[in-house]
Amino acid sequence: MNTPASARKPYQPELSRSWWLKHHYYRLYMLREATVLPLLFFLGCLLYGLYCLAQGAAHWQSFQLFMQQGWVIALNLLAFAASLFHAKTFFALFPRVMPLAPARLMIGGQWLATLLVAAGLLVLLGGWL
Amino acid sequence: MTDYQLLVQRYDPEHDGEPRQQRFTVPGDHTTSVLDALLHVQQQLDPTLGLRWSCRMAICGSCGVMVNGIPKLGCKTFLRDYRGDIVIEPLAHFAVEKDLIVDMTQFLAHLSAVKPYLINDYSGTQPHKQTPAQLTKYQQFSNCINCGLCYSACPQFGLNPEFLGPAAIMLAQRYNLDSRDNGKAARMPQLNAKNGAWGCTFVGFCSDVCPKQLDPAAAVNQTKVESAKDFIISMFKP
Repeated sequence: MNTPASARKPYQPELSRSWWLKHHYYRLYMLREATVLPLLFFLGCLLYGLYCLAQGAAHWQSFQLFMQQGWVIALNLLAFAASLFHAKTFFALFPRVMPLAPARLMIGGQWLATLLVAAGLLVLLGGWL
Repeated sequence: MTDYQLLVQRYDPEHDGEPRQQRFTVPGDHTTSVLDALLHVQQQLDPTLGLRWSCRMAICGSCGVMVNGIPKLGCKTFLRDYRGDIVIEPLAHFAVEKDLIVDMTQFLAHLSAVKPYLINDYSGTQPHKQTPAQLTKYQQFSNCINCGLCYSACPQFGLNPEFLGPAAIMLAQRYNLDSRDNGKAARMPQLNAKNGAWGCTFVGFCSDVCPKQLDPAAAVNQTKVESAKDFIISMFKP
């Protein structure tokens, strides 16, 4: 007996490049991933600062003038906000990946550790010691 | 009774080149689910509408559809929560066979690829005992109903159908955490691979859409920790 030809013709949908615009959950995810972009600028500033420091006083002063420009301050503030947002999402996800203690305790602990390290660095680098 | 507007995606493989939308007006009250509405369409308005369903109580995992672009179980989603047109499409990222029916072959292949069964050399006739604490370790990951909603929520699976995906990796983690199982070594090569746990970028939408409130995203990322440990340990083995 001959088997009848299959009438199957599955339609394979394709994911468009704009898939992440379709839902706020995806947009939030892309925002989280995009926080690295302003951080790259901050890292560039840091490396440029180190380079200038090695070159001598004149270079160092030009670096300080560079850092005082409005757009540089604005971009660095953006990088700061982005890293805080990334920290918030990271701290919330961490207890799910490594459930060592109740989630709320772990999230609070991570913020506390961030604050302590930041305060310690401020005291150390701010010249108050 | 209120009239609801349903925009249902239709695809007839014998006549259509690509899917189209069809509008149906369906009566409903506060108890009418999306599945009830679709069955009303099939029984009263257009008997050619194809859909999968079985239990109507969120246990069988058959009636998954996209409702306004979000993966949902038809039986667990109610018309009362929507205003205006309700767009109903087949589960995203799967090939559409007809109307709301998708081909889940790939999903099932991914599930079986992780060896989702107890692997051990236990051959006694006595019950294989487990303490409540040992049960708690994997229990939350064992309530999956294989509905596939998490795969429709996962853009990584949409971009790369070879990615094992949330449910399969969670299932592997479920057996890896089981005190009666010794099969972790057999499962790790699949999970360590590019299309294993590392294909996940923690979008996390899979956990959001899970109708059983499981956390597949957590299971996948716990597997990354296991995979990293597995890699480090293998470096010290001759």
